[in-house]
Amino acid sequence: MPHITLPEGLPGIRGPMAFRPETAKPLNELAEVLLRGPSTLTPGERELIATYVSSQNDCFFCQSIHGSVAAYHLGGNEQLVLDVKQNYQIAPVSAKLKALLAIAGKVQKGGKHVKAADIAKARQEGATDLEIHDTVLIAAAFSMYNRYVDGLATWQPDDPAMYRARGALTAQEGYGKTA
Amino acid sequence: MKPMFLPEVENSPQPGGRGDMIRQMRNSRKEYPQIWHLFAYRPKATDLLGGFTQEIMRGESPLSPGLRELIAAYTSAGNHCPF
Repeated sequence: MPHITLPEGLPGIRGPMAFRPETAKPLNELAEVLLRGPSTLTPGERELIATYVSSQNDCFFCQSIHGSVAAYHLGGNEQLVLDVKQNYQIAPVSAKLKALLAIAGKVQKGGKHVKAADIAKARQEGATDLEIHDTVLIAAAFSMYNRYVDGLATWQPDDPAMYRARGALTAQEGYGKTA
Repeated sequence: MKPMFLPEVENSPQPGGRGDMIRQMRNSRKEYPQIWHLFAYRPKATDLLGGFTQEIMRGESPLSPGLRELIAAYTSAGNHCPF
């Protein structure tokens, strides 16, 4: 049960977003720009970063929904999403994405964990400043979304089919529309 | 000031209020908080953070702005972020 009375029947972040639409609007628009706006990282790669951070924060709703969005962008490859969450170092993703995931993982622990060597490694693998910047901002923003969702103990259904369907819809239509 | 990790973020402020503030401080050789660079680099994203902050900190609420700033300052201290 959520810690406060939220509109019923809306899973995860959609409950508190419907409860407080004024703050939901910029949060949704930020997700839209970060995950779907123009970028040299694909939407699939950016959703993988968001999913990985959410799983490190142990946020079931966020890792499930963004994992489903990622899988949809990646041609339905749910195994790859699982591999990245379990151990991205041995997952079949590019060396650049691995270096960016390493930075994202450190931001999740706390911004000061990111060291010059992590940045140098990402650059060495071909990451641009804009890609590194966006990775840090995605990781920081998702740490906020994760805490928002779990700090209010939102309702988070177990049914993988719900996440798959909702993830496909979000992958197609985006985060522009508030809950 | 210590250089930031990403020179491109530091060296390419977009036109607008933040960029002007940075140029002014640089011209008069004064120090300024480098978060300005974060807000000047990618305004499409960070303006939304600004809008969010304005709403949650200053929007209609039974919590006074002072109390909300105390919550923000306390959390930032817990995260060891002096700025």
